Amino acid sequence: MSTLIRRLQIAGRRNWTMLFTIGDYLAGMLISVATALVVRALVWPGMDMVIAMLIGMAVGMVLHFVLGLVLSALLGMFETMMPGSLIGMYGGMLFGMRDSMAAGSATLGATALVGAVFGAIVVLGVKIYDRTLRGPVVDAAG
Amino acid sequence: MDTATQRKWDKASRTLDLFAFAEDRRLGPHKRRLFSKMSGATLMVAAGTGNDFKFFPPSMNVVAIDISPKMLERAALKAATYTGSIELREMDVCALEFAGATFDTVVTACTFCSVPKPIVGLRELRRVLKPNGQILMFEHVRSAIGPLGILMDLMTPLVSRFGPDLNRDTVGNVQKAGFRLRRVENVYLDVVKIIEAVKEA
Repeated sequence: MSTLIRRLQIAGRRNWTMLFTIGDYLAGMLISVATALVVRALVWPGMDMVIAMLIGMAVGMVLHFVLGLVLSALLGMFETMMPGSLIGMYGGMLFGMRDSMAAGSATLGATALVGAVFGAIVVLGVKIYDRTLRGPVVDAAG
Repeated sequence: MDTATQRKWDKASRTLDLFAFAEDRRLGPHKRRLFSKMSGATLMVAAGTGNDFKFFPPSMNVVAIDISPKMLERAALKAATYTGSIELREMDVCALEFAGATFDTVVTACTFCSVPKPIVGLRELRRVLKPNGQILMFEHVRSAIGPLGILMDLMTPLVSRFGPDLNRDTVGNVQKAGFRLRRVENVYLDVVKIIEAVKEA
Protein backbone atom coordinates (compact mmCIF):
# COMPACT_ATOMS: atom_id res chain seq x y z
CA MET A 1 0.00 0.00 0.00
CA SER A 2 2.78 2.45 0.95
CA THR A 3 4.60 1.59 -2.31
CA LEU A 4 1.43 2.38 -4.27
CA ILE A 5 1.03 5.72 -2.46
CA ARG A 6 4.69 6.56 -3.12
CA ARG A 7 4.26 5.73 -6.84
CA LEU A 8 1.14 7.89 -7.04
CA GLN A 9 2.98 10.75 -5.34
CA ILE A 10 5.87 10.49 -7.83
CA ALA A 11 3.43 10.37 -10.76
CA GLY A 12 1.60 13.41 -9.37
CA ARG A 13 4.85 15.35 -9.05
CA ARG A 14 5.84 14.45 -12.63
CA ASN A 15 2.46 15.63 -13.94
CA TRP A 16 2.77 18.97 -12.14
CA THR A 17 6.33 19.39 -13.42
CA MET A 18 5.20 18.75 -17.00
CA LEU A 19 2.20 21.08 -16.70
CA PHE A 20 4.33 23.84 -15.18
CA THR A 21 6.93 23.45 -17.93
CA ILE A 22 4.26 23.75 -20.65
CA GLY A 23 2.79 26.69 -18.74
CA ASP A 24 6.19 28.44 -18.57
CA TYR A 25 6.55 28.27 -22.35
CA LEU A 26 2.96 29.44 -22.97
CA ALA A 27 3.39 32.32 -20.52
CA GLY A 28 6.64 33.42 -22.17
CA MET A 29 5.07 33.20 -25.61
CA LEU A 30 1.98 35.14 -24.50
CA ILE A 31 4.06 37.96 -23.00
CA SER A 32 6.24 38.07 -26.09
CA VAL A 33 3.33 38.05 -28.57
CA ALA A 34 1.55 40.81 -26.64
CA THR A 35 4.74 42.88 -26.56
CA ALA A 36 5.42 42.38 -30.28
CA LEU A 37 1.86 43.35 -31.26
CA VAL A 38 1.63 46.43 -29.03
CA VAL A 39 5.07 47.66 -30.10
CA ARG A 40 4.09 47.20 -33.74
CA ALA A 41 0.97 49.30 -33.12
CA LEU A 42 2.96 52.12 -31.50
CA VAL A 43 6.16 52.24 -33.56
CA TRP A 44 6.08 53.24 -37.21
CA PRO A 45 8.78 52.80 -39.86
CA GLY A 46 11.13 55.77 -39.81
CA MET A 47 10.60 56.56 -36.12
CA ASP A 48 13.80 57.57 -34.34
CA MET A 49 15.32 54.24 -33.33
CA VAL A 50 16.25 55.36 -29.82
CA ILE A 51 12.68 56.54 -29.15
CA ALA A 52 11.33 53.32 -30.66
CA MET A 53 13.55 51.19 -28.44
CA LEU A 54 12.59 53.17 -25.33
CA ILE A 55 8.90 52.80 -26.20
CA GLY A 56 9.43 49.07 -26.78
CA MET A 57 11.20 48.68 -23.46
CA ALA A 58 8.50 50.56 -21.54
CA VAL A 59 5.70 48.60 -23.24
CA GLY A 60 7.45 45.30 -22.58
CA MET A 61 8.06 46.11 -18.93
CA VAL A 62 4.47 47.14 -18.29
CA LEU A 63 3.03 44.14 -20.17
CA HIS A 64 5.33 41.60 -18.54
CA PHE A 65 4.51 43.06 -15.14
CA VAL A 66 0.73 42.93 -15.59
CA LEU A 67 0.56 39.58 -17.40
CA GLY A 68 3.27 38.10 -15.19
CA LEU A 69 1.43 39.03 -12.02
CA VAL A 70 -1.73 37.28 -13.23
CA LEU A 71 0.12 34.21 -14.52
CA SER A 72 2.26 33.98 -11.39
CA ALA A 73 -0.72 32.70 -9.43
CA LEU A 74 -0.81 29.67 -11.73
CA LEU A 75 2.87 29.16 -12.50
CA GLY A 76 4.90 30.69 -9.67
CA MET A 77 6.26 34.19 -9.23
CA PHE A 78 9.91 33.57 -10.05
CA GLU A 79 9.42 31.14 -12.94
CA THR A 80 7.04 33.61 -14.61
CA MET A 81 8.67 36.92 -13.80
CA MET A 82 12.32 36.11 -14.57
CA PRO A 83 11.90 35.04 -18.21
CA GLY A 84 8.95 37.44 -18.54
CA SER A 85 11.09 40.41 -17.57
CA LEU A 86 13.79 39.47 -20.08
CA ILE A 87 11.20 39.04 -22.82
CA GLY A 88 9.40 42.25 -21.93
CA MET A 89 12.35 44.57 -21.56
CA TYR A 90 14.85 43.25 -24.07
CA GLY A 91 12.25 41.84 -26.47
CA GLY A 92 10.39 45.15 -26.40
CA MET A 93 13.60 46.97 -27.34
CA LEU A 94 14.33 44.54 -30.16
CA PHE A 95 10.79 44.73 -31.55
CA GLY A 96 10.90 48.54 -31.34
CA MET A 97 14.21 48.66 -33.19
CA ARG A 98 12.96 46.27 -35.85
CA ASP A 99 9.69 48.13 -36.46
CA SER A 100 11.40 51.54 -36.64
CA MET A 101 13.66 50.14 -39.38
CA ALA A 102 10.67 48.87 -41.38
CA ALA A 103 12.24 45.45 -41.02
CA GLY A 104 9.26 43.97 -39.19
CA SER A 105 6.84 41.23 -40.18
CA ALA A 106 4.41 41.98 -43.00
CA THR A 107 1.24 40.84 -41.23
CA LEU A 108 -0.07 40.77 -37.67
CA GLY A 109 -0.03 36.98 -37.78
CA ALA A 110 3.64 36.96 -38.73
CA THR A 111 4.36 39.49 -35.95
CA ALA A 112 2.64 37.24 -33.43
CA LEU A 113 4.52 34.20 -34.73
CA VAL A 114 7.89 35.91 -34.41
CA GLY A 115 6.88 37.07 -30.92
CA ALA A 116 5.92 33.53 -29.92
CA VAL A 117 9.19 32.07 -31.23
CA PHE A 118 11.20 34.75 -29.41
CA GLY A 119 9.33 34.08 -26.15
CA ALA A 120 9.84 30.32 -26.40
CA ILE A 121 13.57 30.74 -27.10
CA VAL A 122 14.06 33.02 -24.08
CA VAL A 123 12.17 30.60 -21.80
CA LEU A 124 14.30 27.73 -23.13
CA GLY A 125 17.47 29.75 -22.54
CA VAL A 126 16.44 30.58 -18.98
CA LYS A 127 15.64 26.92 -18.30
CA ILE A 128 19.03 25.78 -19.59
CA TYR A 129 20.79 28.47 -17.57
CA ASP A 130 18.79 27.48 -14.49
CA ARG A 131 19.96 23.87 -14.89
CA THR A 132 23.58 24.95 -14.99
CA LEU A 133 23.28 27.25 -11.95
CA ARG A 134 21.19 25.03 -9.70
CA GLY A 135 22.87 23.35 -6.73
CA PRO A 136 25.28 24.21 -3.94
CA VAL A 137 27.63 27.16 -4.41
CA VAL A 138 29.04 27.14 -0.86
CA ASP A 139 29.32 23.95 1.15
CA ALA A 140 31.51 24.44 4.20
CA ALA A 141 29.92 21.41 5.88
CA GLY A 142 31.55 19.18 3.27
CA MET B 1 7.59 49.43 15.58
CA ASP B 2 8.03 50.30 11.90
CA THR B 3 4.41 51.28 11.15
CA ALA B 4 4.98 51.97 7.42
CA THR B 5 6.24 48.41 6.91
CA GLN B 6 3.43 47.12 9.07
CA ARG B 7 0.79 48.88 6.96
CA LYS B 8 2.34 47.62 3.72
CA TRP B 9 2.21 43.99 4.83
CA ASP B 10 -1.23 44.35 6.36
CA LYS B 11 -2.43 45.29 2.87
CA ALA B 12 -0.43 42.50 1.22
CA SER B 13 -1.97 39.89 3.55
CA ARG B 14 -5.16 40.00 1.47
CA THR B 15 -3.48 38.70 -1.69
CA LEU B 16 -0.47 36.69 -0.50
CA ASP B 17 -2.25 33.33 -0.49
CA LEU B 18 -3.26 33.74 -4.15
CA PHE B 19 0.29 32.79 -5.07
CA ALA B 20 0.45 29.76 -2.78
CA PHE B 21 -0.89 27.21 -5.29
CA ALA B 22 2.08 27.27 -7.63
CA GLU B 23 4.72 28.27 -5.08
CA ASP B 24 3.82 25.30 -2.87
CA ARG B 25 4.17 22.85 -5.72
CA ARG B 26 7.33 24.30 -7.26
CA LEU B 27 9.26 25.53 -4.22
CA GLY B 28 7.58 23.60 -1.41
CA PRO B 29 9.83 20.50 -1.68
CA HIS B 30 12.93 22.72 -1.31
CA LYS B 31 11.44 24.43 1.75
CA ARG B 32 10.53 21.08 3.28
CA ARG B 33 14.10 19.84 2.71
CA LEU B 34 15.55 22.97 4.34
CA PHE B 35 13.17 23.01 7.29
CA SER B 36 13.86 19.33 8.00
CA LYS B 37 17.12 20.63 9.53
CA MET B 38 15.21 22.55 12.23
CA SER B 39 16.17 21.45 15.72
CA GLY B 40 15.55 22.62 19.28
CA ALA B 41 13.83 25.88 20.15
CA THR B 42 12.96 27.51 16.83
CA LEU B 43 12.09 31.05 15.82
CA MET B 44 10.39 31.72 12.49
CA VAL B 45 10.74 35.29 11.28
CA ALA B 46 8.00 36.79 9.12
CA ALA B 47 5.46 34.01 9.40
CA GLY B 48 3.26 35.76 6.85
CA THR B 49 -0.09 34.04 6.45
CA GLY B 50 1.43 30.83 7.81
CA ASN B 51 1.62 29.19 4.42
CA ASP B 52 5.02 27.67 5.18
CA PHE B 53 3.98 25.97 8.44
CA LYS B 54 3.02 22.86 6.48
CA PHE B 55 6.67 22.39 5.46
CA PHE B 56 7.87 22.20 9.08
CA PRO B 57 8.79 18.79 10.46
CA PRO B 58 6.05 17.48 12.75
CA SER B 59 5.97 18.09 16.50
CA MET B 60 8.29 21.10 16.64
CA ASN B 61 7.97 23.93 19.16
CA VAL B 62 8.11 27.11 17.13
CA VAL B 63 7.71 30.78 17.96
CA ALA B 64 6.65 32.60 14.78
CA ILE B 65 6.77 36.39 14.57
CA ASP B 66 5.49 38.88 12.03
CA ILE B 67 5.30 42.65 11.95
CA SER B 68 1.77 42.56 10.49
CA PRO B 69 -1.20 41.75 12.73
CA LYS B 70 -3.34 41.03 9.66
CA MET B 71 -0.85 38.39 8.52
CA LEU B 72 -0.90 36.85 11.98
CA GLU B 73 -4.71 36.67 11.97
CA ARG B 74 -4.51 34.47 8.88
CA ALA B 75 -1.50 32.55 10.20
CA ALA B 76 -3.44 31.60 13.34
CA LEU B 77 -5.81 29.44 11.29
CA LYS B 78 -2.91 27.48 9.78
CA ALA B 79 -1.02 27.25 13.08
CA ALA B 80 -4.07 25.54 14.57
CA THR B 81 -3.72 22.64 12.10
CA TYR B 82 0.00 22.06 12.78
CA THR B 83 0.86 18.89 14.70
CA GLY B 84 3.37 20.63 17.00
CA SER B 85 3.15 23.98 18.72
CA ILE B 86 3.35 27.36 17.00
CA GLU B 87 3.16 30.48 19.16
CA LEU B 88 2.41 33.60 17.10
CA ARG B 89 3.69 37.01 18.21
CA GLU B 90 3.59 40.46 16.63
CA MET B 91 7.16 41.71 16.56
CA ASP B 92 9.68 43.62 14.47
CA VAL B 93 12.78 41.56 13.63
CA CYS B 94 14.89 44.68 14.18
CA ALA B 95 13.75 44.93 17.81
CA LEU B 96 13.23 41.41 19.13
CA GLU B 97 11.73 41.07 22.61
CA PHE B 98 13.59 37.83 23.37
CA ALA B 99 16.58 37.45 25.67
CA GLY B 100 19.95 36.70 24.12
CA ALA B 101 20.81 33.06 23.32
CA THR B 102 17.17 31.88 23.40
CA PHE B 103 16.89 29.83 20.21
CA ASP B 104 18.72 26.90 18.60
CA THR B 105 17.35 27.55 15.12
CA VAL B 106 16.01 30.56 13.23
CA VAL B 107 14.10 30.00 9.97
CA THR B 108 13.07 32.53 7.34
CA ALA B 109 11.21 32.23 4.04
CA CYS B 110 11.33 35.22 1.68
CA THR B 111 11.85 37.53 4.64
CA PHE B 112 15.01 39.57 4.14
CA CYS B 113 13.79 40.95 0.82
CA SER B 114 11.30 42.90 2.91
CA VAL B 115 13.10 43.97 6.09
CA PRO B 116 14.02 47.66 5.62
CA LYS B 117 17.25 47.32 7.65
CA PRO B 118 18.37 43.76 6.88
CA ILE B 119 21.72 43.83 8.66
CA VAL B 120 20.13 45.21 11.84
CA GLY B 121 17.54 42.42 11.67
CA LEU B 122 20.15 39.74 11.06
CA ARG B 123 22.26 41.03 13.98
CA GLU B 124 19.18 40.75 16.20
CA LEU B 125 18.72 37.15 15.06
CA ARG B 126 22.37 36.46 15.84
CA ARG B 127 21.82 37.89 19.34
CA VAL B 128 18.86 35.62 20.13
CA LEU B 129 20.56 32.51 18.75
CA LYS B 130 22.50 30.28 21.14
CA PRO B 131 26.22 29.74 20.40
CA ASN B 132 26.49 27.28 17.49
CA GLY B 133 22.84 28.01 16.68
CA GLN B 134 21.82 27.91 13.03
CA ILE B 135 19.86 30.14 10.68
CA LEU B 136 18.04 28.44 7.79
CA MET B 137 16.93 30.84 5.09
CA PHE B 138 14.89 30.44 1.91
CA GLU B 139 15.36 33.79 0.19
CA HIS B 140 15.36 35.53 -3.16
CA VAL B 141 18.24 37.86 -3.94
CA ARG B 142 19.61 40.08 -6.69
CA SER B 143 20.89 38.06 -9.63
CA ALA B 144 24.57 38.35 -10.52
CA ILE B 145 23.61 37.65 -14.15
CA GLY B 146 24.09 41.06 -15.83
CA PRO B 147 20.78 41.58 -17.72
CA LEU B 148 18.67 40.06 -14.94
CA GLY B 149 20.42 42.04 -12.20
CA ILE B 150 19.85 45.31 -14.07
CA LEU B 151 16.18 44.45 -14.51
CA MET B 152 15.83 43.72 -10.81
CA ASP B 153 17.42 47.07 -9.97
CA LEU B 154 15.02 48.83 -12.34
CA MET B 155 11.92 47.05 -11.03
CA THR B 156 12.68 47.42 -7.32
CA PRO B 157 11.51 51.04 -6.87
CA LEU B 158 8.09 50.05 -8.26
CA VAL B 159 7.69 46.61 -6.68
CA SER B 160 8.89 47.68 -3.22
CA ARG B 161 5.89 50.03 -2.91
CA PHE B 162 3.62 47.05 -2.32
CA GLY B 163 5.97 44.08 -2.03
CA PRO B 164 9.59 43.08 -1.52
CA ASP B 165 12.87 44.54 -2.77
CA LEU B 166 14.16 42.44 -5.67
CA ASN B 167 17.82 43.40 -5.46
CA ARG B 168 19.00 42.43 -1.99
CA ASP B 169 22.42 40.88 -1.36
CA THR B 170 21.20 38.64 1.44
CA VAL B 171 24.19 36.26 1.34
CA GLY B 172 26.51 39.25 1.85
CA ASN B 173 24.25 40.66 4.56
CA VAL B 174 24.31 37.38 6.48
CA GLN B 175 28.11 37.55 6.52
CA LYS B 176 28.11 41.24 7.46
CA ALA B 177 25.87 40.41 10.44
CA GLY B 178 28.58 38.08 11.76
CA PHE B 179 27.33 34.65 10.72
CA ARG B 180 29.55 31.99 9.18
CA LEU B 181 28.10 30.54 5.98
CA ARG B 182 27.65 26.78 6.15
CA ARG B 183 25.86 26.21 2.88
CA VAL B 184 24.44 28.26 0.01
CA GLU B 185 22.42 26.58 -2.72
CA ASN B 186 20.83 27.96 -5.87
CA VAL B 187 17.22 26.79 -6.13
CA TYR B 188 16.13 28.83 -9.17
CA LEU B 189 18.76 30.54 -11.32
CA ASP B 190 20.96 32.44 -8.85
CA VAL B 191 17.89 34.30 -7.59
CA VAL B 192 16.14 31.90 -5.21
CA LYS B 193 18.59 30.51 -2.68
CA ILE B 194 18.83 28.34 0.36
CA ILE B 195 21.24 29.94 2.83
CA GLU B 196 22.42 28.10 5.92
CA ALA B 197 24.67 29.88 8.42
CA VAL B 198 25.80 29.44 12.00
CA LYS B 199 26.59 31.67 14.94
CA GLU B 200 30.02 30.55 15.98
CA ALA B 201 30.60 30.09 19.70
